[in-house]
Amino acid sequence: MRGSGSGPGSMRLRLLLSLAALWLSDANEPGTAMTTRDINQQTRESISDYTVKGHDLSTPGSHLSTQDFNQQTEENISNLTSAMYSISIDGFSSAPVEENVTLYSPANITLLCSLTRTSTDSATVEVTWKKDNERVESSNVTINEIQNVWSTQYTLKIRDRNQMGNYACVFKSDQEVKATFHLQVPQIEGKDHHVVSYVGDSVVLVCKSLKYIPINWIWYMSNGSDQVAVNDSLMPDKYIVDEKYANITKLKILKISEKDDRSYWCQAVFKLGESKGKVSLKVLTYMTPLKPFLAIAAEVIILVAIIFLYEMYSKKKQMHAEDEKEFEQIEQLKSEDSNGVENSTTRHRKV
Amino acid sequence: MSPPANTHLAYTPPDGGWGWAVVFGAFISIGFSYAFPKAIAIFFKEIQDFFGTSYSEIAWVSSIMLATTYGGGPISSILVNRFGSRPVVIFGGLLCGIGMISAAFCTSILQLYICVGVISGFGLALNLQPSVIIIGKYFLKRRPIANGLAMAGSPVMLSTLAPLNQFLFDNFGWRGSFFILGAILLNCCVAGALFRPIGMAADPVRKQTIKQAEKTVKEQPNNSSIEMVPPKTVSLLSGTEDEEDKDCCEKFNKYLDFSLFKHRGFLIYLIGNVLMFLGFFAPIVFLAPYAKHLGIDEYSAAFLLSILAIVDMIARPITGIIANSKWVRPKIQYFFSFSIAFNGACHLLCPLATGYTGLVIYSVFFGLGFGMVCAMLFETLMDLVGAARFTSAVGLVTIVECCTILLGPPIGGTLIDTFGDYKYMFIKCGAVMVLAGTFLFIMNYYNYRMLAKEERERKATEETMKDNKHIRTETEDGNIWAKEKMQDGPEVEPLTDEKEGLKKEVNGKSEV
Repeated sequence: MRGSGSGPGSMRLRLLLSLAALWLSDANEPGTAMTTRDINQQTRESISDYTVKGHDLSTPGSHLSTQDFNQQTEENISNLTSAMYSISIDGFSSAPVEENVTLYSPANITLLCSLTRTSTDSATVEVTWKKDNERVESSNVTINEIQNVWSTQYTLKIRDRNQMGNYACVFKSDQEVKATFHLQVPQIEGKDHHVVSYVGDSVVLVCKSLKYIPINWIWYMSNGSDQVAVNDSLMPDKYIVDEKYANITKLKILKISEKDDRSYWCQAVFKLGESKGKVSLKVLTYMTPLKPFLAIAAEVIILVAIIFLYEMYSKKKQMHAEDEKEFEQIEQLKSEDSNGVENSTTRHRKV
Repeated sequence: MSPPANTHLAYTPPDGGWGWAVVFGAFISIGFSYAFPKAIAIFFKEIQDFFGTSYSEIAWVSSIMLATTYGGGPISSILVNRFGSRPVVIFGGLLCGIGMISAAFCTSILQLYICVGVISGFGLALNLQPSVIIIGKYFLKRRPIANGLAMAGSPVMLSTLAPLNQFLFDNFGWRGSFFILGAILLNCCVAGALFRPIGMAADPVRKQTIKQAEKTVKEQPNNSSIEMVPPKTVSLLSGTEDEEDKDCCEKFNKYLDFSLFKHRGFLIYLIGNVLMFLGFFAPIVFLAPYAKHLGIDEYSAAFLLSILAIVDMIARPITGIIANSKWVRPKIQYFFSFSIAFNGACHLLCPLATGYTGLVIYSVFFGLGFGMVCAMLFETLMDLVGAARFTSAVGLVTIVECCTILLGPPIGGTLIDTFGDYKYMFIKCGAVMVLAGTFLFIMNYYNYRMLAKEERERKATEETMKDNKHIRTETEDGNIWAKEKMQDGPEVEPLTDEKEGLKKEVNGKSEV
């Protein structure tokens, strides 16, 4: 639990510290539960910003106190993360604008659309909001007009997956123009390029969600046009799912065969929905790299042979030329030599 | 006829002809050696998921590979001293291929360490050193250009391997990619095939000296001794010696010359380079993360590395050409120190770059500096120790550099983690490199002066011994001249042993 601690006074700080100490200690006894509730009530105002994570609340032995905590958080709903997303439209003739809004957990959001129109357009503008192309009537919508700028605001409390979708603000007078906000869970990126592996080998398929930590991961494999869940507990010597870190999932496939050449999806489960990433596996036999290998090896052997043959050929030529020159030398020397001179064969040199 | 070239070689390096084919082979070999450990990082993500390990455990594969490539230097040197460059490179290529092919069938991360890290890494070590060594054997006057061109293989291969690896990965997965990469690494064997052995057996100079000897024989027909190019000198320089008159230390030195540690120039180079490598690679490793840290998106950050690679690619041959010019070549060590200091200055100024444009400018200058240093890395060592001892020198240098190369990025990473800010890492790298550059500059100034002094002394002694026709072979760093050792008729005992030695020389093949 993160307290803001920004309020003045040591009183609040001491309360926070004692609350933290109680959290850390065993809070099984009812006595302590009472104490935490009191402290919770007192520190409610000083706690402005916190997020509730599923696994934080599952610590055993503190069941009572976590229930209290839950109740408190329900009442403090207005203190969840708030964000504003806005789109500006430049006149009625502009193209429809879209924006992606990534929501990781329940939050309060405000969507703002503003339209700048020229003075030649007619005065009345009808402003509506649509969710997934169905008109929305809500008290959380405000509409303003300042000079030539029409703006509208829609405040939403996103709590569950039904509230995710496409929200569009529509400005209508003679023409119609709209801007769309796509509310979605964090997208998972798979791999653009297929992963290559070989028959009989094993492979590890990895999916990551670095910024946002999912609650859970589920793997699917494609079966024709369907997607079938990968059951690693059913076939433990074929599929192993490794979840050492919460934001990375690894599917290890053993004893690969040609049938495993298909696409796999890793699905990340968030509080507000799920999203999938695709990784495709390509299975090759050992014959496939063998052909380039043999081609290159053949090229090497041929080149080496050519070089050695050329060398022998040029040496022969050189020897011939030398032999002729030395023959002349010998003739010359023989004619001038007398006895006592060394045998001329020692002067021959084989190159 | 021009006197034989210096640097302890008894023949004139061709400086062209088949040498350019050798440069091309070295281009490929060096390219694979430097680029492969980096390019393989594309597969790490998938392998990490597959084996369920952390990223640092996977990154060890690259580190082990790099460590083996550098640490295998001395073994590479010994093998080259014994067998020559060609067999070693071909064997290295086969080893790389086998390593990657077996890596395709690995079932644990430890097996990956062994197959990719150790086996392929060692294969790359057997590729890197011989490629650099053989350039020194084929080039002298144009050696900086040859070095610059060959070292340009690294960025070119990296730019090719990175998208290729991505393509292979998308189509074949990591196992299939390793399998095919094994075949691609076999191309190192093709590079090795191009490394035609060169040495005494193939050079025209020896013929000349033998002709001279023949002439003197004619002049002194009663002399039973043979005045030839003394086999001792020649064989000393090519490494196929009579082993009876060597004790075990000298025999070992034939394979790996530990006496280099007494060589002044070698020590200067070693200390300077060890210092430099502490700050050399870390900025590249952290450039993309730094860009992302500043808020730049992933693709633009990757593009910075591409800019770096392209500038690097162009800078290396151009540096080679500049280093070859008559103004720079004699004082090439100063140019090397300058480029290290330039690199360091770039890093020191990097924290001032706050936007994407600033980082692009930094990448351009960094690429320039990086290319300049890399192009001259081995050229300066050759310049200091000479081509014959270079074989051992490069092995010893790489194994010592191995430690600092591996330490550099982790130290940088620790600095970043401790301070939470990248600028301290850049300041550390820049400071270390400026320090290394200054050290090298000062020490090489001292070295040049000492060499000039020794040269003067030597000339003085020569003058006094000139009438005895005793001239000694010597090397001059940067200057191109040497003399041959000749033994006079009456002073020498019956040369039966040397005759035998010469016959062996003549009939056998002395290949390096």
